[in-house]
Amino acid sequence: MNNPNDRQYSNGEITVFWKPAKCIHATTCFRELLDVYNPRKRPWVNMQGATTERIIEVTDKCPTQAIYWKYNKDLSEAEKAGNQSHDPDNEVNPEVLHQEKQPLRPKTTIRIMPDGPLLLEGDFQLTGEDGKEIKTMVMTSVCRCGNTLSPPFCDGTHRKTGFKD
Amino acid sequence: MSTNCKLIENGPLEVSGDFEILDTKGIKIESEKTVYLCRCGSSKNKPFCDGSHKSTGFSG
Repeated sequence: MNNPNDRQYSNGEITVFWKPAKCIHATTCFRELLDVYNPRKRPWVNMQGATTERIIEVTDKCPTQAIYWKYNKDLSEAEKAGNQSHDPDNEVNPEVLHQEKQPLRPKTTIRIMPDGPLLLEGDFQLTGEDGKEIKTMVMTSVCRCGNTLSPPFCDGTHRKTGFKD
Repeated sequence: MSTNCKLIENGPLEVSGDFEILDTKGIKIESEKTVYLCRCGSSKNKPFCDGSHKSTGFSG
């Protein structure tokens, strides 16, 4: 069964599928490829923002397969039909989904994800020990298991190592 | 004032400013104005740092 929030986006060559229910906000996609994955835009996926090769490379890094891709030639009939039916008024993106759940908050909300990362969301600066800003973001996830290969950010390794709170 | 999140080298994340922390069930944790959140995975007082990173030789 498809979730009504599921979306798919195509550039004619490949189709990227998005399943928001699987998203743990590891934020890998928009940290690496903002021209394609931009949660501030609607639709939040712009398939014209990079080459097919680059989209595949970054999409494959999603730790939960909340986003994944297929070649259009490999799509089922139902999946092909999904590429035709886009209702622009019915677009969702990762940030909106979150805001709906959490209305009024202080500047920054830090969520401790169960057996997972710290999810930072709001108006914050992430800096090194010297106070130098690393990156300005509205949402990011910081590794809590100690095993990420791209510190300080979560890369999904906690799932492989079985990190427990 | 926005929130400052400072990465302590080979140690925790120092958070100060206007923020709130929600635990794994989404319930707000009452906390000090500045907190240190474990990044090494070994703290016995998660999500807070307890200094374990020093004995485990965490780097990151």
